[in-house]
Amino acid sequence: MGLLRDWNYVEKAVQIPALAELIREALIRALFVRDDRVLPPDLIGDLNRVPPVTVKVKEDAEVRKLVRVLNGQESTVSLGLSAEDYHYFRTQLGVGRTREFGVTMRPRTLLTYDWIVPEQRGVQLDFTGYAGIEFAEDGHRAIAQVGALWKRLYDEALAQGHYVPFVPTVPLDFAVGDALYGDAPFSSFRGGFASYVNALRTISPYGQRARIGFEEVANHGTAYDLLHATIPLAGEFFIPLSAALRFEAKPAARKTLTYAFDDPAKLSPALDKLSRFGPGVNWVHVTDALAAKILRPAIAPEAFTVQVSLGATATGIAAKEKTLDVAMTGFKTKNAETPNPYDVPVDAYRKTADAAARSLFVGEVRVPAKSFGDFLGKVRAFGDQSAAKAGAYASLQETGTASTYPFFSAPKDRIKMYDLSRGIRAIVARFPGAAFTSRLAHLWEEEPNFLRRMTLMRSLKLEIDAAHVVQPLVVP
Amino acid sequence: MASLDYAYRRLVNTLGPERVARSEFERMVYSHDFASLPKIALLQWRLYPDFVALPQTTEEVAALVKLSDESLLQITPRGGGTGWCGGSVPNRGGVLVDMRKMNHVLALDPDARTVTVEAGATWKEVEDFVESKGFALPTVPLNAIGSTVGGAINSGSTGFGGLRGGSLRDAIANLDVILPDGTLLKTASQADSGGQLANLTPLFLGAEGTLGIVTKAVLRIVPKPEVSKPLTYSFSDLATAARFLKGIVDAALTPYHAALMDRDHFVFERALRADSPDPTDLALVAVQGSKDDVADQEKAMDGLAAKEKGTKLPATIGDRLWRDRYNNYSARRLSRGLMISYNLVPLRGLPAAVEKAAEIRDKLKLNGSVQAHVVDTTTAALDPYVLMDDTKPSGGTALGFVKRMVDAAFKMEGHPMGLGLFLVFNLRKMHGNATSAYSAVKGVFDPRKKINGGKTFEVWTKYPWPGLRAIPPPGMAIGLEVAAILRRLKPTRDRFVRAYEHTKEG
Repeated sequence: MGLLRDWNYVEKAVQIPALAELIREALIRALFVRDDRVLPPDLIGDLNRVPPVTVKVKEDAEVRKLVRVLNGQESTVSLGLSAEDYHYFRTQLGVGRTREFGVTMRPRTLLTYDWIVPEQRGVQLDFTGYAGIEFAEDGHRAIAQVGALWKRLYDEALAQGHYVPFVPTVPLDFAVGDALYGDAPFSSFRGGFASYVNALRTISPYGQRARIGFEEVANHGTAYDLLHATIPLAGEFFIPLSAALRFEAKPAARKTLTYAFDDPAKLSPALDKLSRFGPGVNWVHVTDALAAKILRPAIAPEAFTVQVSLGATATGIAAKEKTLDVAMTGFKTKNAETPNPYDVPVDAYRKTADAAARSLFVGEVRVPAKSFGDFLGKVRAFGDQSAAKAGAYASLQETGTASTYPFFSAPKDRIKMYDLSRGIRAIVARFPGAAFTSRLAHLWEEEPNFLRRMTLMRSLKLEIDAAHVVQPLVVP
Repeated sequence: MASLDYAYRRLVNTLGPERVARSEFERMVYSHDFASLPKIALLQWRLYPDFVALPQTTEEVAALVKLSDESLLQITPRGGGTGWCGGSVPNRGGVLVDMRKMNHVLALDPDARTVTVEAGATWKEVEDFVESKGFALPTVPLNAIGSTVGGAINSGSTGFGGLRGGSLRDAIANLDVILPDGTLLKTASQADSGGQLANLTPLFLGAEGTLGIVTKAVLRIVPKPEVSKPLTYSFSDLATAARFLKGIVDAALTPYHAALMDRDHFVFERALRADSPDPTDLALVAVQGSKDDVADQEKAMDGLAAKEKGTKLPATIGDRLWRDRYNNYSARRLSRGLMISYNLVPLRGLPAAVEKAAEIRDKLKLNGSVQAHVVDTTTAALDPYVLMDDTKPSGGTALGFVKRMVDAAFKMEGHPMGLGLFLVFNLRKMHGNATSAYSAVKGVFDPRKKINGGKTFEVWTKYPWPGLRAIPPPGMAIGLEVAAILRRLKPTRDRFVRAYEHTKEG
């Protein structure tokens, strides 16, 4: 999830005397919705600018060359463009420019909303054609190019005896790269996406191939764990091309158990207990009635549906199911036939993804499992007040946290997105131990330790990307 | 630079006389870590600190760091001293900050499932505490008895529980770190378990104390399992035991721990304690869960072991090995010194890797044991140890073993663990073109190289003269390579245990 550019822009904007009178949040709102009653036209012009050049990446050599051109190491001549393209390229990029421009990566599927500050006059990389997957011959891992679709990775891995532990909580048609420079919500019961990344193959801001981490083994005790510190912002430090991903072996037996709850007061303690379950649980997916209707339109939705994916030996799965039934005290019905969102044919997955993508998402809320039902009740009440029916997808993690993605049936305009995000923020503040981690929430956050960490991150970016090529920071 | 007497007075004013040491004996104790250093190392580095300081609070640590602006003395943080590559040993004297007086468990939050501990607490102390409250740690470093929380974080340890509980990185919710400017940094937002809110914790994993001094950690805890059962299997050779470990992962089983030890380890143990298990190449697997679950896992393990023609050993052996699991290097008493080479290698290549480690050990005519454990579904830690006597002229040449093991790990697409004085030459080999990005991290956090400098991107020496102040990291590699060559030229094998040669033949 790229963030530093927006954050830096806001930090610099609040220092501008003309804008300093605005309180920080009002300024963020004005920037986010491009409010021309508050902001000068030039600034609005900057915010509405789109990268003039999009390069469809086929191989990494093209990216290397492009980066070297952008940071001045090579001339545009070496790009080998036709005369017409060459002229267009030079004109649009404003070679001989007076302000920074660089390269940015376009997520294939964005769950929430676009960034406040787009790439200014630079180049956008489109990785949809850079989508190879190379499975290891021996060992449970693969190198996936950033354009590779998660669903394809999941299906092909299963066919080859591997199991991809991380699944998208909101089952959209994400590419692997969307977790590195987008906002794809991959996670498993045991950890987030980053836990399954051994390494990234990247192009450095100097156009070199740079591997961050180790493709075949984990990254421990090798000086600073730069890989995991930068994964959520990877696209602002390097240009990620492929991810070396760690899988698990396909279990001898897999089973998805579906539990229905009609009472949030029973759901929350059951989730809390379930989060203490231990190994054998691959993922736990929770939906309310609105989300369930989108995922399974043919089945009458229950108030709350909890799907638990178990993996074990053929004999062990029965024992696990028995223990699970005890943990899920208070469920209304249980069955093993309801399809899960992931193990479906690719066409059905895409159809569901298209339906789910129509909703307006505001980002992730990490909420303690035992408060989940209560939280959801407040979100729905807020939706009703805002004339936008609210629902949620969530995945449970063994830390006792429900990674929740509230959504609204509302048009995706920026004013609505902002106001609904602010409403969610107000609700989250009432739940101890909960955190709203959307990009807007980052910009609103003024806790001193957070600001310090962001400042250090920015310094690190400026050191690593001294050439100002990878999503260079912009000032108003 | 202020005089040492002035610096001493300032330190005493800050901590009190009882928590600042400057006697030669006390300084000598801190001049090495778990690995034995040959005396020749004193020609290159000032391994003895000028002072040893023992802070008790985060504020005192901050004061010590700020004091170094006046005294211009280097700061070297140190935990239990269980490292093996000189990460917590001074290279230019200075102030060694021993964190072991900050050893309290501060709070356990059963709702958030976290425990807050000071960095000087040992993992065993923390484990005992959380177990008394009905919880467990998801992962515990190998030397849990001596290894402190801060020390393990700085060395980026692996250990028990990784396959099931995830990495140490995943087990840390937050850290309090005193940065080189003397300010306190909280590395993450505690509520944000996924680290989206600018999580800097990973930067301190494996940093060897070069970015700041960790004073407090918030660690995740998990419910204590209902049943925990160690199982041991004997195999015809170590490569077969390694195939068994790989088979566990291929069968999608997730025991709490899966490790192997060669017969030599038990030869050493037998020399120390007559009642230790019979020497054999064995695998130790600990399964945890509900009663039914443990029974099912045990059955599955038995099946996998049978496939490799392994023999299940009596439960008493497993129980004993499990009880003593944190005390793995008693063989050190046979030789006065011991050197561990800690490497991560691909799990797929573990059978070949253990054979290679044994080959290197034998070629260098060393006594030692090959050990390994599963870290995750792609990774195994290969951590053989060799015995050495650094009081003998040939003793220091055993360091060549580490160099040869590191080279082998790289060839196997793995990497060594740790940097410090001895392994600093590996950094560029490990990270290639990305090395400059790693050096940027040090530049951002510690631009004046106040804390544990000269151990990552350059090797500082004790000499103040230009040209000799620092040597390029490859220089260290050459030194260790020479040690390995001298070792090979040695006409006879070490004989710390009389039975050893016999065992090798049998």
